[in-house]
Amino acid sequence: MTLAVSAPAPVDVRAREAVLTCIGRFGLAKTTIDDIAREAGCSRATLYRYFDGKPEIVRSAVVAEHERVAGVVVAAGRAAATFGDAVVAAVVAGARELRGHDALQFLLAHEPEAVLGHLAFGPGDRLLIAVGDAIAPAFDRWLTQGDAIRAGEWLARVVRSYVLMPHPPIDFTDPTAARVFLEQFVIPGLESR
Amino acid sequence: MDDTRLQVLRGAYDSIARRGMAKTTVDDVAAASGVSRATIYRLFPGGKEELLRDTVGWEMDRFFLQLGQELGDAADFPEFLERALPLARRELREHEVLQKVLETEPDRLNALITVQQHRVIGAIAAYFLPLLERDRDAGHIDPTADLPRCAEYVARLSLSLIASPGRHDLGDPAEVRRLVRRELLGGVWS
Repeated sequence: MTLAVSAPAPVDVRAREAVLTCIGRFGLAKTTIDDIAREAGCSRATLYRYFDGKPEIVRSAVVAEHERVAGVVVAAGRAAATFGDAVVAAVVAGARELRGHDALQFLLAHEPEAVLGHLAFGPGDRLLIAVGDAIAPAFDRWLTQGDAIRAGEWLARVVRSYVLMPHPPIDFTDPTAARVFLEQFVIPGLESR
Repeated sequence: MDDTRLQVLRGAYDSIARRGMAKTTVDDVAAASGVSRATIYRLFPGGKEELLRDTVGWEMDRFFLQLGQELGDAADFPEFLERALPLARRELREHEVLQKVLETEPDRLNALITVQQHRVIGAIAAYFLPLLERDRDAGHIDPTADLPRCAEYVARLSLSLIASPGRHDLGDPAEVRRLVRRELLGGVWS
């Protein structure tokens, strides 16, 4: 059957991709339901059958992106040969996803208040725990489950501070620089004993 | 810092404490500080936004400066951190103005804190560096370790822990000891 291959993605999937494209282009505040419908190639009415409105599409896209990026990070870690290599691969993969994310980068640069409230203090606690749990499977070949979750949370913390905040002193998208830094300061503190 | 600037920052801080950031005006700050509007605009040409940003930065500096004074001396850097982290976390939670503004205007405050953060990290790292050097000279740290970078790492992640401890309980001495001696310093200190 070629039908399944050529059929367009479901409306909800297209809507999530469309909202990210729109935010990457002109930000969250200026993105309207009409923009999302146009980008997704469907009508407003169709969008409203799947979502209550723009905030719900955004929330849904954030959840899907969180899962997608965690999946990339876990795959990078699991493909490594040693625990140290897994940490470097996971951090570099995560940093590249976040740095190359047009929607996220647009918001950090032009509408930081839309993002930073979710990253800091109490909401930051929930985010670090959720990301840590999601990426822990990257390390479960080398660590006990408890230590893998701990390592996941710590690396989420490191990436939050070095990749998402302004003026990072080190570029984690560069594997060589990332390795030197992680091997000296981070990896020894995460190994199971 | 010159006295008038300090007076204005105090006035701005008091005004934010009373009515929040959105409702604070340059006129309020002028009234609260006893400094004229013209002088405020001369010291803060960016007006209200610059005033808010600098007030947040000033209070962050003051918070950590006071913390440093309360901590006094420790036998070594791990012991210093083991005392600093729980104390900082407690003071942060008990910081009435911070907690109030976090509740009422979290997005705006977080944006300002983020802008000021790298400067505060630099100040904390500068405070940590001589403590690390002392431990290196005492043989606890590899002489080839990059201590400025280490100080910066520990400053960043300490700030991260006190603002969002995640699952870590900074009131539990055993947990803090593990965090300090493994996650924070496991790579360099023995």
